[in-house]
Formats: sequence, structure tokens, C-alpha cells
Amino acid sequence: MSDDTTPREGHSGYERLRGTKSIAEILETAMSFERSAQTFYEDLVDRVSKPMRALVKELAEEEAGHYAAFMALKADPAVQQQIGEQVQIPPSDHRFSDYIHLPALPDKPDDQSILQYALGREHAAMEQYQSLASEVPPGPLQDTFRFLAQEELEHKKELEKRYYEVVHSGGV
Amino acid sequence: MTDIKYESKGSLLRPFKALAFLGREPVTEPMGPRPASENYRGFHLNDWEKCIGCGTCKKICDNQAIRMVSIPDLPADPVKGIRAERPAMDYGRCCWCGLCVDLCPTGSLSLSREYVHTCTEEQISSYFILPDPKGMHGQGYEKGWAKTADADLIDLERQPMHQLAPDERTDSFAEVVDGFDPQSALLEASRCIQCGMCHDACPSNMDAPQYIRAIWSDDLEAAIEHIYDTNPLAHVCGRVCTHRCESACSIGIRGKPLSIRWLKRYAMDQVGHDRVRDIVSKRKAPLPDSGKIAIIGAGPAGLTAAYDLALQGFQVTIYEGLPQGGGMTRYGIPEYRLPYNRLDDDIDIITSLGVVIHYDTWVGRDISMTQLEQDNDAVIVANGLHLGRSTRIPGSDHAQVYSAIDLLRKITLGEHFDIPQRAVVIGGGNVAMDIARSLLRLQQRTHGRTDVTVTTLEARDQMMAAADEIEEAEEEGVVIINSRGPRQCTVDKEVLTGLETVHCISVFDAEGRFHPQYDEDDLTLYGADMVVEAIGQAPDNDFLGELLTERLEWVRGRLKIDEEGRTSEPWLWAAGDAVEGPDVIHAIAGGHRVANSIQQHLASLRKASA
Repeated sequence: MSDDTTPREGHSGYERLRGTKSIAEILETAMSFERSAQTFYEDLVDRVSKPMRALVKELAEEEAGHYAAFMALKADPAVQQQIGEQVQIPPSDHRFSDYIHLPALPDKPDDQSILQYALGREHAAMEQYQSLASEVPPGPLQDTFRFLAQEELEHKKELEKRYYEVVHSGGV
Repeated sequence: MTDIKYESKGSLLRPFKALAFLGREPVTEPMGPRPASENYRGFHLNDWEKCIGCGTCKKICDNQAIRMVSIPDLPADPVKGIRAERPAMDYGRCCWCGLCVDLCPTGSLSLSREYVHTCTEEQISSYFILPDPKGMHGQGYEKGWAKTADADLIDLERQPMHQLAPDERTDSFAEVVDGFDPQSALLEASRCIQCGMCHDACPSNMDAPQYIRAIWSDDLEAAIEHIYDTNPLAHVCGRVCTHRCESACSIGIRGKPLSIRWLKRYAMDQVGHDRVRDIVSKRKAPLPDSGKIAIIGAGPAGLTAAYDLALQGFQVTIYEGLPQGGGMTRYGIPEYRLPYNRLDDDIDIITSLGVVIHYDTWVGRDISMTQLEQDNDAVIVANGLHLGRSTRIPGSDHAQVYSAIDLLRKITLGEHFDIPQRAVVIGGGNVAMDIARSLLRLQQRTHGRTDVTVTTLEARDQMMAAADEIEEAEEEGVVIINSRGPRQCTVDKEVLTGLETVHCISVFDAEGRFHPQYDEDDLTLYGADMVVEAIGQAPDNDFLGELLTERLEWVRGRLKIDEEGRTSEPWLWAAGDAVEGPDVIHAIAGGHRVANSIQQHLASLRKASA
């Protein structure tokens, strides 16, 4: 699932999240997770050919959008109550990325490689938040993890749609 | 009651006979209308839910009593054969013959048992109404004359099409479908009600009603004329078009849509090639040299653009990397669906107009884009989707794992590869069916037995392949396993052993987005010594070179074009699968579009410099 080019948000990030206690800290970790992805994609922009560049830029912008959303969430004084209201338990997800395995990103990755990487990343994030939600007692912390997992699931679904268009529909 | 005899007259006592009525029960007739007989032809009823706005009622009405009225709030979808129009009746002209009802393909129109309508001088226009299910006065009168099996003028059944039996075709690439004989073609053409929904649905706006009418009149040369108005790849589209026309055919609402594709094929097959060439050659206008155009790719889009431009006096040169023309119609479609001599005929018509095709010539290797830009007034990119996508699951890089696109090309080119004893194909589209059926034929020839399994992510009713392709594949012995996701290509001591799959519970989420869900506990291995991936296609745009690639604008990995097919470079247009996705009739439409745009562009330049 990962390789040398994959940011180290996986196991270490999980441990960091397990150690957090407040929603503010959880959001801080999530924001650094999104920020690392944004940086990764921004660095990737110059390594890909122009037809791919818009896709990578979009991914970077999406991650920046996620980051901004988390910032707004953290700044909201009624965040705990709002999160409790918005969270829905995400539908079961059967590791889609197991079937679209992440390759080691080559020097000049193509659109499929980039999308597979992004899908794997969103999936890893979703599983991470789901795992944490199942390990903490009911309450605001669990609600936050569930909310984050749902957010990642939605991001993943959007990427899956894009993947279908690019890979299975001849790019249209 | 005793009748009064009209012969009675003259008696002085006659007035007193009126006294005979005194004891009788009075009879009162209501002033309002009352239901007429059960089969009465009264004012129209129209079920707007069933009506598709095809206008057949208007066309059949000899009294011109029906007009189609646009209804802005109604949905319209040419692909599905729905127009946002409904018939309005002029009862000043209607003679209640009921032909509109008898010919209504959907059965939405009927006549009610309502017959009374009066109005003042000021309300005289109230005789022109838009019928709905409630009738003229909104009183919900019952149906009178309605469609019955006896009165239905629509022929709901197709003429049968003979094709080779499965055991006759599994060791041969001979064409499966025989095509219509003259009698069947005439009967099939006679089913057409000339509604034109097919025309609206066709990306190239082929006027099928025109050529079907010509076939019905047994004027096949006129049919060729109509076909070549919009389609220079008539043999190709007569065999392998995705026939959007038939999906929109209004007869298909209650019965089987017309075999429009086979009718086109019939006309083309019946008229000799030389005669077709003569007919088409007359279209070429005696124009002075209009300019030079280079086209990259001799597929449907490139050939169509070349045809249009050659007719308008342009010098057109096509650069094709492969040894023959046709693009994916030759190197992606097996010959049992499209005999290549028919494709050759289509191409010959186009080259007979003066189009030059340089085969085995790769742009980017044998000639540069810079050279093409310098030597021509305009350049068209129509390079198609010749790269196969891979699942990239573990083991998919094994030498015995092929791309369907590559393998189909090998088969057409006659290149050698080891025919597998057992093959598994990944994919549920037409390409998957094409490679599965091709491999099956090669197995039968080579090994005397067949073993081809197709695994699809989608459930049966979600498969992208055409229904007849699926049916024919299964008739021939291809085993189709639905709802299986590829997990890995299994390899033992560097030998491919098969494809491991997992049960796919669902492919799309509630909003229709691709979001496959799997049951990890349900794994199945399909043994094979060859796995073929048929999951998608991609363009190879390397020929553009780095500098031009940087200069051009792109959208989602594809060349960005406007509605006319222009790229961001003023001398460069693009059309076909590479920019619009894989579909032959869309590619033809794209070819027309860019040819028209180039013609207008160069004409405006000439005008400006004059």
C-alpha cells in the first residue's frame, strides 16, 4: 500500500491520533495530515506532464480545501454540538484500494498512478479515523472521528468517480 | 305508447288527439352532453406521461388538424427519444378519422366519448385545444376509440435476421450476420413511421427516415445519396454502429425498434461499390484549391473530416501509423463483426475523392508536428484511443497478461502469439466481448476446444457490452461471470496460473458514483494460462512532443477543445475517441464538426486578406 514516496501519515499518524485527548488536538492532527498531502501534490505538479498537471493541482486544491474545512471546524465555538449533529455512521467499506493497488509512483507518473495513490491515501485516512472511532468511548471524540471518517469516504467516492471516468470510460 | 301515424291528417278532431299524451310519463333530456357509444370517436384524449412528442399524429393527419406545440416545462432527451412537444388539435379541421390514434406509437392518444362543444363568437379559438387525459372540458370522459390490436397500424415485430449458427462460426472469422434479403428489407422499412426520433438521437444527425423511405420505395441509389449526406463510413456504421437511432426509435416503446443499422447495411451491400463511388463522386464540387489539411489518424473521425474537406476542394493528407486505415474499427473490431473488405470499400470511396493516406507513418517519428504546422493550413488530431488500461493488480505485469487492445491489434495484423488453452478476460464491455470471442475462435482452430471466461465487475444488467454481443458470446461458449472484481493474477514459479477474483456486492453508490463494494470472504480463482485486461482505453499523445504539449490546453488529461473541436492552438483541431470517448458514430460527428470549423475558419481568413 505504500512505498518510499508515500508520506508517513500511516502508522505514526495513527499513534499520534490515539494519543490525542481533545477535539482541538484531533483536528490539529487531521490538519497536518491534509497539509502533508497538499504539499505532496504541489511537489508532484512539476514532475508530471501538462495533461496530468491539472489533475494534480486539483488534488492539491482539494487537500487545501480539506485543510481549510478542518480549520473552520476547529474555529467553530459550537464544534462539538455541530459534529454530533452532522455525523452519520459511514457505510461499510471493503478496502476498495486492495483491488486498485498502489504502485510505487514513478518519476513520471500517469493519471492512473496518481489517482490510485490518491485513492489509497483517502482510504488509509478513512480507515484510520474509523479505527480510532471504534476505540474511544462514545462522546465528542468518537463523533469527531466518525465525522472525519465520513469526510474521507466522501473524498474517496469523488476520486473513485474520477477514476472511473479516466480509466474505464476512455477519459470521458 | 301508441305511435301517431303521419299519414293521419285532415280530421277536425285531430287536435284532440293530443289529449292522449296527458296520461303519459314525461321524458326529460339533460342540456349537457352525455357519453356516446363505447367506440365513439369524440374529442381527443392524450396521456402526457406516455406521449413522447414524436409528432407521428401530425404527420398522418391528412386534414392538417394537428400541430405540435412546444411545452417548455416538459423534459426533452433526444438520446431517449423524447421531445418536449405535445399535439394540439384544430377541431375546425379534424374529421375524427382516428388515424392519429391508430398510428400513435406509444398508445398515448385516444378518442373520447365526448362530442359536444359550443362557443360564442369570442371563444371561436377554443376549437384549437391541447388534449390531455381529462379531455376537452376537463370532465374526464371515458375513452371511446382507442388503440386495439386490430386497429393498430404499428408493426411491433422486427423482420428476423439470419445469422450463422454458433457451431458454424466458432472456428471462423466469417461475418456472423447475413443481412437482409430484399423482401425482408422492404418489410422492415415499411415499419418506419417517419417520426424522426432516430435523426434527433444520432450524433451525426443521419436522416434515417429518408433512406428508409428510399429503401421502402426500392430506390437504393437514393438511399445511398441520403446516407452519404452525413456518413461516409456507411459500411462500418451499417454493421458496428452503436445505433443510438434504434434506442430512440418510437416503435421501440411498445415493440422492437426498427433495425435501422441493418437497413443501412442492406442499402450499401446491394448497390455495387463502383456505383456507390460514382454517386459520391458527383458530390465533389468543382472548387479551386481551398487549402492543405493534414490529419493524424485514419480512423472514423479522421476519415470523415477528410471526406468533408475533400468534397470542398481541400488537399487532404492523412498520416496513419498502422499499415491500413480504419483505426479501431479495423484494429479493435474483429472481422466476424466487420469484414475488412467492407471497411476497405468505405476508405476507397474517400480516397477516390483525392484524399492521400500515408500508412506506416508515425507523426512524431517520421514527420514532426512542426513540419505539419508549417506545410498545412490546418491540422487535425484524430489519433484515437489505442492504449489499453491495466488494472495494475499484483501479477498484472506478467508476460501472459495482455491488454485486449494490444491483442486485438495483433490478431488483425496477423502477428504470432501463443494461443492459450484457457483464457480469462477482465471487463464487461464490447472490447471484452470482442477479445473473448476472438480468442475462442483461435482456440477452436488451434486446439480444437475452447475455454474462455469473462469476469465482469458489473452485474449482468449493468454490463456495458451490447446485449446482442453478450448473447452471441454465450452462444459460442464464452462463460460470463458477473460481479467479480479482479484481485490478483496468480503466478506459480513464474508461470501464470489464473485470476483470483472477489465478489463485488455493488459497483455504484446510491448517487450513481463508481464505488465498488466487495465481500472479502468470497474469493474465486479462475485457472488460465492467459489473462486479458479489457477495462478501458487511453490515447497516446507522445507524438505531440514536449513543447507543443506544454503549449496546448488540457482538461482531465484530454486535449481541451471548444464546441467546434478547436484546440488552444489556432492551427490545430481535434476529434474522435481521444477527445470524446470511444464510439464510432460520435467520432464521425466529430469529424464533420472539425471539417466544418476549418472550412469556415479558412474562408474567413481568405475574406479578411482579400
